[in-house]
Amino acid sequence: MSLATVKSSATKTETPGGSSAPGRVSAGRRRRILPTILGGYLPLVVIVLVVAVPLGWMILSSFKQVSEIITLDLRLLPQRWSFANYTEAFRTAPFGRFFLNSVLVTTIGATVKVLLAIHTAYALVFVRFPAKNVIFVAVLVALMVPPQVAILPNYILIAGMNGLNTYWGIIVPSLGTAFGTFLLRQAFRSLPISMLEAAEVDGAGHLARLWRMVIPVTAPSIATVALVTIVSEWNEYIWPLIITTDPNLMTLPVGLTLLQNNESGPAGYGVMMAGAVIVILPVLAVFAFLQRYIVAGLTAGTASN
Amino acid sequence: MALPNFVLIGAFTYRPLIMNIYYSTLNWTLGSASATIVGFGNYVRFFTSDAAGVVLTTTAIFAVLTVGGSMLLGLLVALALNTKVRGQTLARASVFAPYVLSGVGVGLVWLFIFDPVYGVLAYVLRRFGTESPRWFNDPTLSLVMVIVVYVWKNLGYCAIVYLAGLQSLPADVMEAASLDGASTLRRFWHVSLPLLGPTTLFLLITTILSSLQAFDLIKIMTPTSQGTRTLIYEAYVQGFGAYQRAGYSAAISVILFVFLITLTIVQIAWVDRKVHYS
Amino acid sequence: MALSLDRRNFLALSGAGIGALALGACGGPNTSGSTPSSSAANGTDWSKVTPAAEITFWSNHPGKSQDVENSLIAAYHKTQSETKVTLVTAGATYEEVAQKFQTAQQGGQLPHVVVFSDVWWFRYFINDSIINLDGLLSYLKVDTADYVSGLYKDYAYNNLQWAVPYARSTPIFYYNKAMWTAAGLEDRAPKTWQEFATWAPKLKAANPSAQVAHMYAATADYDSWTLQNKIWGEGGALSKDWTMTCDSAEVVRTLQFTQDSVYKEKWAGVSAKDVSADFSAGAAASYVGSTGSLVGVLKTAKFDVGVGFLPGGSQATDMVCPTGGAGLGIPKAITPEQQLAAAKFLAFLGLPENTAAFAAATGYLPVRKSSDMSAMYAKVPQARIAVDQLGHTRSQDYARVFLPGGDLEIGMANSDILTQQANITDRLAKLKSTLTGIYTTDVKPKLS
Repeated sequence: MSLATVKSSATKTETPGGSSAPGRVSAGRRRRILPTILGGYLPLVVIVLVVAVPLGWMILSSFKQVSEIITLDLRLLPQRWSFANYTEAFRTAPFGRFFLNSVLVTTIGATVKVLLAIHTAYALVFVRFPAKNVIFVAVLVALMVPPQVAILPNYILIAGMNGLNTYWGIIVPSLGTAFGTFLLRQAFRSLPISMLEAAEVDGAGHLARLWRMVIPVTAPSIATVALVTIVSEWNEYIWPLIITTDPNLMTLPVGLTLLQNNESGPAGYGVMMAGAVIVILPVLAVFAFLQRYIVAGLTAGTASN
Repeated sequence: MALPNFVLIGAFTYRPLIMNIYYSTLNWTLGSASATIVGFGNYVRFFTSDAAGVVLTTTAIFAVLTVGGSMLLGLLVALALNTKVRGQTLARASVFAPYVLSGVGVGLVWLFIFDPVYGVLAYVLRRFGTESPRWFNDPTLSLVMVIVVYVWKNLGYCAIVYLAGLQSLPADVMEAASLDGASTLRRFWHVSLPLLGPTTLFLLITTILSSLQAFDLIKIMTPTSQGTRTLIYEAYVQGFGAYQRAGYSAAISVILFVFLITLTIVQIAWVDRKVHYS
Repeated sequence: MALSLDRRNFLALSGAGIGALALGACGGPNTSGSTPSSSAANGTDWSKVTPAAEITFWSNHPGKSQDVENSLIAAYHKTQSETKVTLVTAGATYEEVAQKFQTAQQGGQLPHVVVFSDVWWFRYFINDSIINLDGLLSYLKVDTADYVSGLYKDYAYNNLQWAVPYARSTPIFYYNKAMWTAAGLEDRAPKTWQEFATWAPKLKAANPSAQVAHMYAATADYDSWTLQNKIWGEGGALSKDWTMTCDSAEVVRTLQFTQDSVYKEKWAGVSAKDVSADFSAGAAASYVGSTGSLVGVLKTAKFDVGVGFLPGGSQATDMVCPTGGAGLGIPKAITPEQQLAAAKFLAFLGLPENTAAFAAATGYLPVRKSSDMSAMYAKVPQARIAVDQLGHTRSQDYARVFLPGGDLEIGMANSDILTQQANITDRLAKLKSTLTGIYTTDVKPKLS
């Protein structure tokens, strides 16, 4: 058995960055027999349970009436499955609208951010201009500015430009991207210069080189940046909270908190559960659908640092 | 081409930073049109207040335990996932799922699990004859609770990154080690772990950064933050919360920023001397 | 497209970038030291002003009042067509609305009518963010005498009226009738806390499924509000005007009583989050909380809910109940047209039949004396209690409602005493110095 694994790992191709080609998972591990059950299956089962139980509980609760949630006598399944919480949630707050807003903000925001990250990283690595390293450090430092710091001044600026309760007001301030730039710069640095110089000799300009050569090769890293950017755009909470007062402009996480009410007593908890499900479920669904590609892309792409 | 990015970062990250430093020199109530200049007064006030000790300790404990927890558990989970067992794709996806979920949604769900009266955890404990710990009333337990939920949410990120690292360990080195007759544990400790150095550094930097900026969970689960008053939450409460002291809050944000920069510089400098790059 | 930026181009472009940074260097507070002139609302001749065509109403729908607020707005649109009102959900809690309101002062869109709670309106007053309503109320001939005087007076300072009551409540004593019967107690609320202390062991013995005989509220659930009732019952107070008296012997005695109820006699506990939920779940036989939660509790509880007046103490059995909830006000930095339109809507909301409708839908108090609540009382007899208690209420202590952060500090001290078994005298002494500090730095300079 060991000979076969030696052979298969010897034929594995490696890009200069040290990461395997996208999608191909390393086969170099020995098969363990009995330990497979304990070492293999058990942790996996535990992992899946640890994640699934809280989420499953939330989903089940959303179908219960409040008196079944706020009780000492918990049951797993609802006595009577009821959609009342959902209808109430949609009635109290425009969740359909929230969802659309989130989709809009995330799509535009993430696309722009990823494009900016790609171009900035390319410029930092392949274009000659003065003070490059200083600028890169400045970009890194931007990563360390806590969001708190930016909120009030940004609010004053955007509000002063009449950006309150507008889509651009929500999207624009977070467009400057440092994380993506950082990660992609590292990825681009690991590319062989020779490849690009050959293309330059051939007469290809920067843009052509970027789009035809650099991007295809570093696709896994770009996918990683895209994923992290999409996730963080979708889950943005503080800034959209401050910059929107009109529920028609709010995104899902912000809208969710609207379901709580002061002094309303416990009656609102069922609706809140439904709201939480509405916020979490779309992301989970998309994720479940794409997880094969996402996880493979991540495992192939993040090793190069 | 890259200029728009710089302008955006400049306008929406750097400019606010500078404005914030300016605000930190003011005694200014949020909502008021006027303020008085107090120079370093806010900084002095923070460091001489009773709260400073508590806030800084809480932040340190939170950071160490969440970073340590996520990375250690992430590594263990990555090892477990690094198999070709059936169902591993499901497990990998599951592990990563909490990371992509909104902090607000996650906080809400766990609120309902931890509640000592109608929570799931309390119910299970009652069946076993014990009472639920007072998670929300005891500051220490509040901190523990928030750390647990934070690690639950974020260890998937560490696990996946470590998994990537494990899978790109150069096969020749690994084979050489196993042919040498080294046991699995020794192989791991002396070969794999050092080779994972760059990955570990990357994770260390990013998890510390996000741990020190963790906000959503804390706000949803412990709104009055007794026990969970980290530096970033303190800045929020002082500025936007009950006290409305905008200048004082700005000063605390600046202090946090200085910490973050220092920590990152220290980590990178330390690394220059230690890490192997194969 | 330039391939490699030479030095000159680069500097030119970065100059443009820095220019963008400098743009909007304005914003933030003015530090010149001059105080802005005081409100000119009184001087405006309202007869020459036409109300604005559109106004926004910021609310957090206290007590789940979104539906009734919408129907009141619809009714307003039917009675007049010159102003359109838009209801905006400005937050889930009073704190979030306050946050939005405060940040909006820096140049955002201000609302025209805004909800603020008992602990926030004074801050808007000292920040000079709201106008006093006397001129507008008299111009619109609002029958201010018909407002329940205690509730109305809560918003008066320096002989000026800064808000009108809206979602007002008093705390009431909720109890689980089934558990009371099991313990053989009379079907009523205790007259004093000392009396309850004798009932509590019986309640615990007869109802093993309940965790405690009485549950105190969590800090986030406004525990400092109901704490005042216990302190007043013992003859103390958190503050006398601007002097902090939270470390007096009476207050110490009160907190000794509550601390013992948790640790020594073990019949009380502190809620984790929402005491009304704990009660509805059957974990507590009784609790003290806002009447605004009444409708919600009745809906969730699976048992008969009894209500009563707040218990007194060893020194006082009457006038020991605080009021709370929220009122409505009008910001200063909007145009007179908008202020007039806002005031007209405010006056409409304050009409007796409308306040009755609001109260009926939520459980809050009807804030007009002439409101007809008979339909509501027929349906929910428990709603009467808070109204009957109105005559026995007193204004809250300044320490809680007028100091920014005062409410939170008191709550945290209370929590330390009840959940961390902190030393009472030391903790209260610390609270006193904290509160006095807040007064000296954040409030006093603005009052002069």
